[in-house]
Amino acid sequence: GDALLPAPQSISILSTNMKHFLTWSPVIVQGATVRYSVEFQGEYEREYANGSWIPISECSLTTATICNLTEDISASVAYKLRVRAELGATRSPWGTTKGFFNRAMTSLTPPQLRAVADGHHLLVELADMGPSFQFRVLYWRKGQESRVQQKVLKEVSSVVHLDTMEAGAEYCVKAQTHVQAINRSSSFSPTQCVRAQGDPSMWL
Amino acid sequence: SGELYCSLPNPRNVRFESINMKNVLHWSAPEGTGDGVLYKVKYAVYGVGKWIRKPECRNINRTWCDLSSETSDYEDQYYASVKAFLNGACSDWMETTRFNPLTDTKIDPPMVSVSSTDRSISIILTAPEKWKTSPGEESISLLQVYPGLQYNVSVLNKKTKKRWFFSISNNTLVVPWLEPGTAYCVSAQIHVPTPVLDSGFSK
Amino acid sequence: TAGVKIFHFGACRVPMSMTEIRAGFTAIKANIQSRDPIRTLSILSHPHSLHKVKSSDRCCITYQLFTFYVDKVFKHCRTEDSFVNRKISSIANSFLSTRRKLGQCREQNNCMCGEESTEKFKQILANYEGLNVTSAAMKSLGELDILLDWME
Repeated sequence: GDALLPAPQSISILSTNMKHFLTWSPVIVQGATVRYSVEFQGEYEREYANGSWIPISECSLTTATICNLTEDISASVAYKLRVRAELGATRSPWGTTKGFFNRAMTSLTPPQLRAVADGHHLLVELADMGPSFQFRVLYWRKGQESRVQQKVLKEVSSVVHLDTMEAGAEYCVKAQTHVQAINRSSSFSPTQCVRAQGDPSMWL
Repeated sequence: SGELYCSLPNPRNVRFESINMKNVLHWSAPEGTGDGVLYKVKYAVYGVGKWIRKPECRNINRTWCDLSSETSDYEDQYYASVKAFLNGACSDWMETTRFNPLTDTKIDPPMVSVSSTDRSISIILTAPEKWKTSPGEESISLLQVYPGLQYNVSVLNKKTKKRWFFSISNNTLVVPWLEPGTAYCVSAQIHVPTPVLDSGFSK
Repeated sequence: TAGVKIFHFGACRVPMSMTEIRAGFTAIKANIQSRDPIRTLSILSHPHSLHKVKSSDRCCITYQLFTFYVDKVFKHCRTEDSFVNRKISSIANSFLSTRRKLGQCREQNNCMCGEESTEKFKQILANYEGLNVTSAAMKSLGELDILLDWME
C-alpha cells in the first residue's frame, strides 16, 4: 500500500525575483524510477473551498525534484504546497511545506544595468526581469550628488533614453527594481559613471 | 416565417475583426459550396433578450458585414450570427464568441509628426480615433477610451544604427543635442497597460 | 507591466493587480463563456448597467461585488480542466487579497453604501438567483471583464 513509500523530505520553496520554485529530496527506491506530484492551496481554497488542493499539471508524475510555482502563486496571499512520491500504483503520504508561503517573501536582487553615453545622451540598458518589475533609475552629474534625478521605467525592451548631458561632463547612474504587486524594492545596483562627448568649455 | 430545411453546411470561422473599434463581422463560406451562397446576419446585445436582424446584410453574397454602429457602445458586449442559403436549403445560425469592443479591438499605431532643427527633433504623437459610424458623429480619441494610454517612441540613428527608446504619457517629445547632418528615424507605438493592448510601431 | 492600479475611494487607497487578474481571466475567457449558453440574460450588466453607479457608491459596490465573487461564485466554477481551475484559483486568491484591502476601507468609513448601490446589488443577486447555481456562477465568472472594465 501507500505506507511503503516514504513522503518526500526537505521540502522547501526557493523564491527570487518573483520566480518561485518548490524543491524536495528524492525518494530512493533501488532499481526503480520514483515520480512526484505537486499540489497547491491558496488562502481562498482553505477558507472558501473546503481546504481543497489544486494539482499543478506540469509537476504531475514528474521525475524532477523541483517544480516551478510561479504561474500559480499569483496572488499576495498565504499558500501551502505539498508533494508526494508515486511508484506505479503506490503513493506516499503527502509531504507539506511547514508554514505558509506568500510571494511578498521573495528575495529581490538589484537589476543588471549598463549605463551608456551616446554623444550628449545618457542612456541605460536594463535586463528584463518579467512583467512584475518596474525599475527606479537614479542619475546625477558627478559632483552634484544633491541634484539626483529619477525615472521609473516600466518596460525595458532595449536601450532607454534618460536625459541629455552637458558636454564633457561625467554622469552616474544606479537602479533598483520595484514590484508593485508586493510593494517592495531591491537594493540598488552598483553605480556606473559615463562621460558625455565634447569639451566641457563649450558650455562657458 | 417557416424555416427552410437546414441541410446546408454551416458558415465557418464566424468572428468579429475590430480595428480602432471598427467592428466588422467576418466568416468563411460553408465547405464545398461554390458561388451563389447568400447570407443573412443578426446580432444581440449580451444580456438583452432579443436578436436583431441587420437589414443591410440580408441576402448578401459577400462574407463580411460591418456592425460598427450596432456595437459602438463599448460598455456593452455582443454576439453576432450568420445563416447561409443556397438553392432553397439553408444552414444553421453560426455564432461568434462574446465580443467585448473594449478588450477585443486592435489599435493602429499613432500618427507621428516630426520637425527638426539642426540639432534637435520635435515629435508630436496623435492617437487614432474611435471609428466613426457616420461622418457627423463626434470624434472620440482612443485616449479618451483608454485613459492609461502611453506611447513608446523609438529613435534610430541611421549612421550609428543605435536605437533609443522613450516611454511617455503625454504626446510630445523633444530630443535635443543630436548630431548635425545625421538622419534619425522615429517610430512610435501605443501601449495600453490594462486591458493590455499594444499597437504595432508606426512606419 | 505589473499593472497594479491604485483605486482611490475617498481617503482610502486600494492597490489592485489588475493586469494579473485580467491575464488570468483572458486565459480562460473563451472556455468559461462557451459554458454559458444564455445570451439573453446578464448578471452584472442588465437591466441596470454598472456604469450608471454614482462615484460615491463605487467603493461599496466594488466591495459587495468582490464579496459576491468570493462567497458565491468561484467555488461553483470547478471544471474538469486543470488549467482553468488553476487560473480560477489565481483570480479567486487575488480577489480575496483585494477584498481584504477594501474591507479596511470600510472600517475607516470610506466605503459607504448609498441607496443606489444597495438597489443595484439587489438586482445583481436577483439575476444570480434566477438561474441554477452552477449556471449562475459560470455566467458570473464569464462576466468578470464587465466588472474589470467598469472598475478601470
